[in-house]
Amino acid sequence: MGEFVATKINYAAVLPMLIVFAAAMIGVLVEAFVPRASRYVAQLPLTLIGLAGALAALLLNSRDNQGITAAGAVVVDGPTLMFQGIVLALSILAVLVMAERLDREGADAFTQSGASVPGSPLEAQAERLGATTTEVFPLTLFAVGGMMLFPASGNLLTMFVALEVLSLPLYIMTGLARRRRLLSQEAALKYFLLGAFSSAFFIFGAALIYGATTSTDLSVIAKAVGQVTGLDSLLVPGILLVAVGLLFKVGAVPFHSWTPDVYQGAPSPVTGFMAACTKIAAFGAMARVFYVGFEALRWNWQPVLAVVAALTMVVGAVLSITQKDVKRLLAYSSITHAGFLLLGIVAMDRTSIAGLMFYLAAYGISTITAFALIALVRQSGAEATHLSQWAGLGRTSPVVAAVFAFMMLSFAGIPLTSGFTAKFALFAPAVAHGGVWLVVLAMLASAVTAFVYVRVIVLMYFSDPIDGVSVVNPSYLTYAAVAVGAALTLMLGVLPSPLLDAAKSASIFLR
Amino acid sequence: MKLGGAESTLFALAAPLSVIGALALLFARKAVHAAMGMALTMVVLGIFYIAQQAEFLGVIQIFVYSGAVMMLFLFVIMLVGVDSSDSLVETIRGQRWAGLLLGLALAALGLATIGKATFPAGTGLDRANSQGNVSGIARLIFGNYVWVFEATSALLITAALGAMMLAHRERLSERPSQADWSRARIKSGRNVAGLPAPGVYARHNAVDTPALLPDGSTSELSISRVLKARGQVATADKELAISQELEGETGDMTRRGNGDDK
Repeated sequence: MGEFVATKINYAAVLPMLIVFAAAMIGVLVEAFVPRASRYVAQLPLTLIGLAGALAALLLNSRDNQGITAAGAVVVDGPTLMFQGIVLALSILAVLVMAERLDREGADAFTQSGASVPGSPLEAQAERLGATTTEVFPLTLFAVGGMMLFPASGNLLTMFVALEVLSLPLYIMTGLARRRRLLSQEAALKYFLLGAFSSAFFIFGAALIYGATTSTDLSVIAKAVGQVTGLDSLLVPGILLVAVGLLFKVGAVPFHSWTPDVYQGAPSPVTGFMAACTKIAAFGAMARVFYVGFEALRWNWQPVLAVVAALTMVVGAVLSITQKDVKRLLAYSSITHAGFLLLGIVAMDRTSIAGLMFYLAAYGISTITAFALIALVRQSGAEATHLSQWAGLGRTSPVVAAVFAFMMLSFAGIPLTSGFTAKFALFAPAVAHGGVWLVVLAMLASAVTAFVYVRVIVLMYFSDPIDGVSVVNPSYLTYAAVAVGAALTLMLGVLPSPLLDAAKSASIFLR
Repeated sequence: MKLGGAESTLFALAAPLSVIGALALLFARKAVHAAMGMALTMVVLGIFYIAQQAEFLGVIQIFVYSGAVMMLFLFVIMLVGVDSSDSLVETIRGQRWAGLLLGLALAALGLATIGKATFPAGTGLDRANSQGNVSGIARLIFGNYVWVFEATSALLITAALGAMMLAHRERLSERPSQADWSRARIKSGRNVAGLPAPGVYARHNAVDTPALLPDGSTSELSISRVLKARGQVATADKELAISQELEGETGDMTRRGNGDDK
């Protein structure tokens, strides 16, 4: 029996993750020991400092400490740092939006008492006495920690745990909307049950792959894939089952059915966070699994993913036409975008990985901004998400309507917005690597969704306003997030080269 | 690899049991039966682990899952109410059959492909356990998989935080003391002496039987509103009849019917 040797962990490389997890745990302690009235004031700076500190550590420190560490569990390479950096930057924006309290005690989007029955005296009492749900800040940090670990996972077990760490806080936060709480709780339950189901598929797939290759390490799997004989019938179902777990998280057809309900039920700032950051993390993990682990078996999974991508684009685009609710419309739009993003996985080239990163950043920024604006349009206190309530918004609130229209144009991929450059960066490698029919399909789907987005803009500018719909006046938090989001959307459209170059130089996976 | 006689006998006996337990979890109408089915499956799984020389895993499986987690399940079910059962109404027509068909197709596909695999010779349990079963696991958890092990703590903290948020009703105001209740009663001037106690009859007294007012009618206030909401309030008629009969025999109430003023 050999002496036990402690696993070496390169703490400099994993420092960003450690900072985020540490901030989350301090946040939990704040919940336990700080009086209720001052919790919000304590949590918000803590969360922002945690995220900004992690981003600083990532930029200053981790870049020079790349490598495989923690016995292969964590791989810190170019793509990892890029995905982690985008997640961190976007989650800072998302936290600013989440923290918006209008003129209340706590964050406005969240219920004051998650445990009370909707409409019960307990809820009314909690509202009157100013209870808070500041636990959403540590929960967000835990989710961000999971999202950072997910694309960095070097083996399937770490990936599974990261998947759970990022999902569980999202399930909880989905159920905490202040208004229309039953809808929100239903959404949380649906998300939880379907998410648990898809995690089970993932772990079953990982077990089959372990059975075939006797390892969960992606680099070992990559070597073993070509050598094992007679076990392809374990490997291929294993890969497909792992893919199911990942495709569920990005909301690809046919695993998309949760998306509209959850996007609609969750508090709007959480929807923005979830739509942007979960996609980044999940596509990062998917890229690592397929590029590092299963590259040798690409003839088995590429056609499947191509069909899924095609289905996702078509179904998302077609169903978005019929939507009457802004949040559901953006949910179907996010499904379509997931289909576009899958092209970056199918193309199987380092330029497509760069395109994928750029697209994720551009789409995430626009999404968080759009959902921040949705949270501001109100009718009698509640969010006015029905499309008819948005009629004439261009006359009553020109600024909100203008920024929202800009985001819609970015989603549609109109030049001078980030959406255009992102689509170009993503589709060009796909054309170069044999995905022409997919790109044609993506263009058609873009045209269909462009019609949907333009219809919203027309509705905002060329219809008569509805009585009672108003835009609430937010604090500097939302102002800052929306201003930064709009500025970045414009900047990535006009001046994309800094981020594009960074993505290109960081697109090689360490094996 | 060949199984020994004892091991294959054990498998032949226990495997059907675990499948029965799993099916009971799916098809039992009552939540308690489903939970017991799940407990059965978990215990049998623990037995399998022990039979495969994974003693630590087997014992943990039985202790933690069957023991702690399942008992927690049962407690929750009992608190929620043993009688509550799910509504099995289909909201989308034909969904169940379509789901069943697709599930069976997936199972058939999986069995067909996975069944084709030809496994190489196993390395044997002795080699897997060469460092001792428990220390072998410890080496994996605290060696190669230490990062995952630590990351799990984030999961557990999140779970605890979420459970507190979604289920723990924080007490926002002071709990009113007996003196507070008394003061409030006197201030309001209603039920100053407290609510009437439930009925006490000659041969019966119980919280579900309402008390009688002087005019012979029953007092709604003497019954807990929880019982009323559940529809578990008994009628006082039978007890009243018995009381009257007894009192008539002893001549205590001179058969004047109910109430003092008749």
